[in-house]
Amino acid sequence: MMRDMDARVLSCGPMAEGLVRLILHAPEIAQAAQPGQFIQMLVPDSAHVLRRPISLMAFDREAGTLTLAIQPKGRGTQLICGLKAGDSVRVLGPLGTGFDAHGAQSIYFVGGGVGIAPICCAMDGFAGEGSRAFFGFRSAAHAYGMTQSPCPVTAVSDDGTLGERALVTKPLLEAIAQRRPDCIMACGPLPMLLAVQKIAAGQDIPCQLSLEERMGCGIGACLGCNVKVTQEGGWVYRRVCKDGPVFDSKEVVLNG
Amino acid sequence: MADLSLELCGVRLKNPVIAASGTFGFGREFDELYDISALGGISVKGLSLKPRTGNPPSRIAETPSGMLNSVGLQNPGVESFIEHDLPWLLQKDVAVIANITGTCVEEYVKMAEVLAPTGVHLLEMNISCPNVHEGGVAFGVKPESVYAITKAVKAAARQPLIVKLTPNVADITENALAAQEAGADAISMINTLTGIAVDVQKRRMILANNTGGLSGPAVRPVALRMVWQSAKKVSIPIIGMGGIETGEDAAAFMLCGAKAVMVGTANFTDPFACPRVIRELNDYCDAQGVGNAQELVGTLKEN
Repeated sequence: MMRDMDARVLSCGPMAEGLVRLILHAPEIAQAAQPGQFIQMLVPDSAHVLRRPISLMAFDREAGTLTLAIQPKGRGTQLICGLKAGDSVRVLGPLGTGFDAHGAQSIYFVGGGVGIAPICCAMDGFAGEGSRAFFGFRSAAHAYGMTQSPCPVTAVSDDGTLGERALVTKPLLEAIAQRRPDCIMACGPLPMLLAVQKIAAGQDIPCQLSLEERMGCGIGACLGCNVKVTQEGGWVYRRVCKDGPVFDSKEVVLNG
Repeated sequence: MADLSLELCGVRLKNPVIAASGTFGFGREFDELYDISALGGISVKGLSLKPRTGNPPSRIAETPSGMLNSVGLQNPGVESFIEHDLPWLLQKDVAVIANITGTCVEEYVKMAEVLAPTGVHLLEMNISCPNVHEGGVAFGVKPESVYAITKAVKAAARQPLIVKLTPNVADITENALAAQEAGADAISMINTLTGIAVDVQKRRMILANNTGGLSGPAVRPVALRMVWQSAKKVSIPIIGMGGIETGEDAAAFMLCGAKAVMVGTANFTDPFACPRVIRELNDYCDAQGVGNAQELVGTLKEN
């Protein structure tokens, strides 16, 4: 299933303010990929010993391609964002346990910032009748992922340059009041995930949250990435890379 | 095609490359990528008498040419390992090294007793973990305590006993000698160097545990020096580790006096690091006209 391979860079360039779109040719990984999964990408510089976990924004099984959204935050991701078409980059994937709609049709997708990327992948895979998406951006310049959406998208921004000046939970709550979805899928910054978790619990809506954590091996061996999950009145640590990155909102302890 | 095989404390290894404890789990995840029978051995994730939950996140931080970890010995406990993981591992044609840890001498002794009737081939006693507050490194700093715990565990152990040493001491050779005098069958070195990583934007420590253990190529020169110094002092086998990425890195440790090597952090950079190191060590031996890799051990020319 998972493959470690040299993927060819088909394109690499700006997608939005502070965000780079990288498209790779990696047919074996695209073939096996599921929404919510990620790849471990080797930084093209031998001084970096840890690969970077990067969520799939899209995959195309026929074309054999993977689309990724990368924030050039540190030295490693900056080097990755400097890749050029024709370059080759080492990737391991697909990894992790992704989203699972369990047959749900009406899904509310919630994304914030770079966390919108895996939500786009989930929308491609699972958006059915009555589905809607709610994206939160810092500003209009940071917006991406809204064209070719399989369901209606409501965008808000921190500065009001795109949609309402609001947190993404505002239109989400309004939509829930109009029509309760079968399920919520969310990915974004921790405060957003906490807010969505609270809403889902309050309204008793099944909800899946995709998490981010620093990773070592990416395949479940090193126990470097962990998150608390409730179990039988107590809690246990689960591996974000293998048991996640998508967890049941009812069980995952986000600020533990 | 060089002969890479060796005998380590009476156990036959098909090559001197062992997956280092804590980077390889119990081998199952990596076995999805390649047959782990290709390895000389596997030192399993550090085991304790009772299950341990480990440290809170974040547990990992990349540093220049290396990484810090503070996993804190999360493991399901030795009984669970024996029941659920060991039978699977023993089907593989690979030396199984049980890495053991404890919070007091009695716990280490009990671990050796619990593992005695099992098919585990070797014990590796971790008295050098920097990431747990009680136990671990507390026994590994002073030569007297290295001697005492080694003596006690050796008396209870059925399998050959490897003592894993910490580099966070003034003179590691004193502890290597203490382990040998107490009856250790081998030593492995080095465990990680204690370090910290700082998030300057948040003005906060990156690791939830504050301190972590540094590993990877950044520590390799220190590890080589410590293996070289220790090999001059002890006659028992040394298993060298610290930032090995390639077959030539493995050869460097062997030239310094290591009979076998462990590969850790490199498993994260390249999940196929272990089999690649084996292949590259063979290529190095062929290029050097070395028929048996053990001929390299301790033959470093000094200036």
